[in-house]
Amino acid sequence: MEKSSPDKDRHVLIAADKTESSKRAVLYVADFLGGVPGISLTLLYIIPEPPEDYFASEAERREWVEKDEEEARRMLENYAAILVQAGFPEEKVKTLVGPCDLPSIAECILKSQEELDCCTIVVGRRGISKKEEFLFSSTSSRLLHAAKNCAVWVIE
Amino acid sequence: MIVAEISRAEIRELIVLRVGASRAPKKLRVITDMTDFFGVDYDDVALLGGEPYFIRGNEREGRFGIEEQPKFWVKRAIDLRTGELKILKLVFHERFSARVGGIVFEFMRSPRKEANILRLVRGHPNFMQGFAVEDRAGNVIRVIDHIPGRKLHEVVPELGDSHEGYFYSHFPALFEDYIGLVRAIRFLHMHMSKHGDIRRDHLIRERESGLWRWIDFDLNYVHRENFFGYDLFGLGNVLAYITGRGDVTTKELKEHNPRLFEQILEEDLNIIFGYRVMNLRKVYPYIPLALNRVLLHFSQGANAFYDTTDQLLDDLEEARSKLLNA
Repeated sequence: MEKSSPDKDRHVLIAADKTESSKRAVLYVADFLGGVPGISLTLLYIIPEPPEDYFASEAERREWVEKDEEEARRMLENYAAILVQAGFPEEKVKTLVGPCDLPSIAECILKSQEELDCCTIVVGRRGISKKEEFLFSSTSSRLLHAAKNCAVWVIE
Repeated sequence: MIVAEISRAEIRELIVLRVGASRAPKKLRVITDMTDFFGVDYDDVALLGGEPYFIRGNEREGRFGIEEQPKFWVKRAIDLRTGELKILKLVFHERFSARVGGIVFEFMRSPRKEANILRLVRGHPNFMQGFAVEDRAGNVIRVIDHIPGRKLHEVVPELGDSHEGYFYSHFPALFEDYIGLVRAIRFLHMHMSKHGDIRRDHLIRERESGLWRWIDFDLNYVHRENFFGYDLFGLGNVLAYITGRGDVTTKELKEHNPRLFEQILEEDLNIIFGYRVMNLRKVYPYIPLALNRVLLHFSQGANAFYDTTDQLLDDLEEARSKLLNA
């Protein structure tokens, strides 16, 4: 992992969804890193668009995506406010909402990590049963297994 | 492409040719809009892409523990041009939640997904064959070749007189076929498609060729993080079924072999269907360790799960080599 230089911030990616575990992740970062210089943050939300034919029409799909995106933007703005209050300069806290054409959320997060050149990914762990883990896997587990050239913080 | 319209007179002639004059309907109903699938009935003719299909009834299927119900959106039909029996799958925008072993899944019927898969698997020996065509209302109708043959759950119980006899005489060939079927699913996954509904009654052995074919890929599920998870789960269940020559359940063991039942632990059971035994070597000690290890990946005692069909295939190949050398 590249060491940070005095001119270059360490870029931390907080991957959020609409669960309480994401809020815990944000609060942890605020508490742990708030006020520490040389850190910039991106709050990332990947729109979890359901598979084709979930929607009866293209109009219904667009409405679903717009609503989800709107809710996500509001959520990330609230999280950004928490981080700013914790001591991060406003210009160093960015939000990013978008769809992804990769098969899993974890892959989308890793793609963003690479594109944004983040050294650390922070993600909340929801706490799922073994059955759910078996059938659906979990984003945090996937990130832990697949992440390269970055650290992964999983917040319980 | 503009298809020449077939006349009602021609349709009537073809019906007489296929089923005889006495069975031809007195009143001919030709339907070009299949939106109301309840209204598409026996003796109707569905005209799709200029081709006439003579409706002969509805298919039936059981699901989630409910016994067989008619599937009104799936019709049996005769292709009047060729005389071949076809299955017409009409559009049914069904979206539902179901509990599978206590886990809530969101499922949806996906005509487009099935249409895409039919295109993808054209000519593949392990999938049902057909094509999709839009009716006049834009509904994506799938025209599937009927497969004369029997389903897995009809074939397996009749193989061999005992499990041991079955395992040594029939299982090796069936296991080989199963590996081929997993490769077929891998083919779908490599093209970012899922089967969506892998189960023992979605496998038919074609009578003439002896080939096993996957059928019915119009169901889709919200996959969350693991695109392939539910498909892999289905493959594990099919493997357990063919290895055990049927489901080996705790109820059955308790009734017929209480001493063995006492040895079965929670970790030996299917991770989702907790009444099915996955540690089949405890029941049939001649099952090789390598094969049993594959089954245990689908048990409550598993510490690691298969994420991809590649991982499953690696272990199946190892199990096969041990089986051949046994």
